[in-house]
Amino acid sequence: MIAIDDVARRIPRRQWARCSTWILAGTIALSGCSTSRPPTEILARADLGVRAARDARADELAPMNLTIAVEKLAKAKQAMAAKRYDDARRLAQSAQVDAELAEAKAEAEIVRRAADDVQRRVDALQTEAERESRKPLTTAPKQE
Amino acid sequence: MRIDAISLVLRLTRIMLLLPAALTIGCGTVRNPALEHTRDLYRQARQDPLIVRYAGAALDRAGQTLDVADQLWTEEKDVIEVEHLAYIAEKRVEIARVTAQRRLAADEIRQSRSRRPETNDSRSK
Repeated sequence: MIAIDDVARRIPRRQWARCSTWILAGTIALSGCSTSRPPTEILARADLGVRAARDARADELAPMNLTIAVEKLAKAKQAMAAKRYDDARRLAQSAQVDAELAEAKAEAEIVRRAADDVQRRVDALQTEAERESRKPLTTAPKQE
Repeated sequence: MRIDAISLVLRLTRIMLLLPAALTIGCGTVRNPALEHTRDLYRQARQDPLIVRYAGAALDRAGQTLDVADQLWTEEKDVIEVEHLAYIAEKRVEIARVTAQRRLAADEIRQSRSRRPETNDSRSK
């Protein structure tokens, strides 16, 4: 094996300087890729998002979106345990937005059903009112 | 002989370090399909007066995520992160659409209820 000093002596000084520059650049580039931290807060938010979606009856009214969110949250936790923090962060963020969508869909469905119900009642009242308004015209002369 | 080998290694190292930079310059106009798809959805939503009226803030959130994804694509061409952000933005556009539908339905309920007393009045008359 050749010692590093030996190599340094054999390479011309100019070339050695260039070599050091490239090694330094490579080290900086690589170190920039491995600075992710555990996304604990993001995971906790995703967890809360899934709970909020369940509270909004998403398991009944938006089951597909909720299932996607739950699966991604489970994968995010696995990635976190395996210290794949970038994967864990992305999965948790995806899970959170999927849960938000599930919650929004469930809430929209509840309001839509309520709107349909109110409309049906109003229609029924109007029909009844129309019927009632016609009645006196036919019954009034008999009473007199 | 050893020096030749070392200079070869140095050349290869230089090529490997320059390659990503060259690719980045070369791909300056390359578009990301996921980002383009989300941008189209966002534009359509922006043109929908109901979404703009009832879920403007939710749509703004989608736009902000899309801006971050755009910037990341322009500056770093980080495919994984950009496609991830494009997905988030796409879901936020969908959330804005659904929120608008919910608020529209809530408005319908208010309007229906405001019409109800009239029918009651007409009945009592």
